[in-house]
Amino acid sequence: MSYSFTLNGQTVEATTPGLTPLLTVLRDQHGLQGAKLGCGEGRCGSCTVLVDDQPVAACLFPVANVAGRAVRTVEGLAAPGAPLTPVQDALLDHGGVQCGACIPGVVMTLTALLESEPAVDAATAKEALTGNICRCTGYVKIVEAAVAASGRGDQA
Amino acid sequence: MLTTVVSPDVRSPGSIDDAVRQLTDLGADAMPLAGGTWIMRAGLRGETPRRCYVSLDRIAELRRYSVGDVVELGAQLTHRDLTSITTGPAATALRQAAALSAFPQVRNVATLAGNIAATGFAAADLVPALLAGQAEVELAGPEGPHRTTLASYLTSRDQRPSGELITAVRLPAPPGRFSAFERLTVRVGGEYAVANVAVSVDVDAGGSVHDARIAVGAVEPVATLGPARALIGHPVGDDDAAQAAGEAVAAGLTPREDPDAPGWYRVAVVPTLVRRAVAQLPQLIDH
Repeated sequence: MSYSFTLNGQTVEATTPGLTPLLTVLRDQHGLQGAKLGCGEGRCGSCTVLVDDQPVAACLFPVANVAGRAVRTVEGLAAPGAPLTPVQDALLDHGGVQCGACIPGVVMTLTALLESEPAVDAATAKEALTGNICRCTGYVKIVEAAVAASGRGDQA
Repeated sequence: MLTTVVSPDVRSPGSIDDAVRQLTDLGADAMPLAGGTWIMRAGLRGETPRRCYVSLDRIAELRRYSVGDVVELGAQLTHRDLTSITTGPAATALRQAAALSAFPQVRNVATLAGNIAATGFAAADLVPALLAGQAEVELAGPEGPHRTTLASYLTSRDQRPSGELITAVRLPAPPGRFSAFERLTVRVGGEYAVANVAVSVDVDAGGSVHDARIAVGAVEPVATLGPARALIGHPVGDDDAAQAAGEAVAAGLTPREDPDAPGWYRVAVVPTLVRRAVAQLPQLIDH
């Protein structure tokens, strides 16, 4: 079967069985390797992408259900050489990135949060991040970055 | 290597009638596909996938809802949708269950009917909230639409006829009804519950409980209603009555054993969860 959807703003077709995970389509057919296969069961958040602006676990999302929807991945946030987004800048500035495996998922979760919430406090950021596991940072710097990025977003 | 077999066919009909027709024609080879968060893990559970899945994603009417003395909720509403639909104190337990379940990435996708229809999913969070609230499920099938109580649907869930799908859930919301949900997880957020509990009470003008229901999930293989008589005739929020009711409910449970928690522990936490849920109720009335 063939499924049409927009991927980072461009219309694409995925010709693949309908139960194929969206993550497989992104990584193997489109070369977008930011979203990672971590646990493969929707618990770790390393495969987080946005579908119609909401974070989803791409490892559990059947490609059949993405037809007609808008998918955004970390690769679509800032073009190569272009300025990073406030979320990406804040994670770098606050030392929120260590090994980096979880970060594409964290960035997409926080991008969706900042798009829907004008002012993010630490509690809101923690709640939003309950589905993103990081085994390096202890989360404090990621949460600080989220709060700081929220402030920057207001000024932008 | 991803975690699901990718060969099954997926069809995406645009109407309930077409979905019923396709499911009926395919028979036992097929089943409905909602958000997919349970079906996509079939391989992890050692299950053999069906030959075909009928996705409900393009059927817009399955996302409808209406509020009133009965809250009517479309099958395809997500957990996230349920947290934002304002439906008053009779549905507080449902909103809380939807908000506490899993993670945002799953709540944004996993559906109301998927939570009810997923076989083998003992820890479903919405189910106890709906059971305590005396919910009914609306079904479509080859014989036409019909309605049954959620309690009877659950006891027959493994033997539902081919071609049938849940189209909506009806949750009664009469005046004077209040509900609350509690769950215990090993970590605070996200995990499957060791036990989850919903309490729904009908309160008279004097603040006394005149009818009550308590539902428990995650302890037995399928969520059940337990005896709530101990709450009746007492002021809403009465802690001694809650303790007595919680003990009566726990005494009737035959727990499952699995690596996440021993059965005795799942039962042992139930009275405390009942007390916590009952303790929420007076605050709902004050608002």
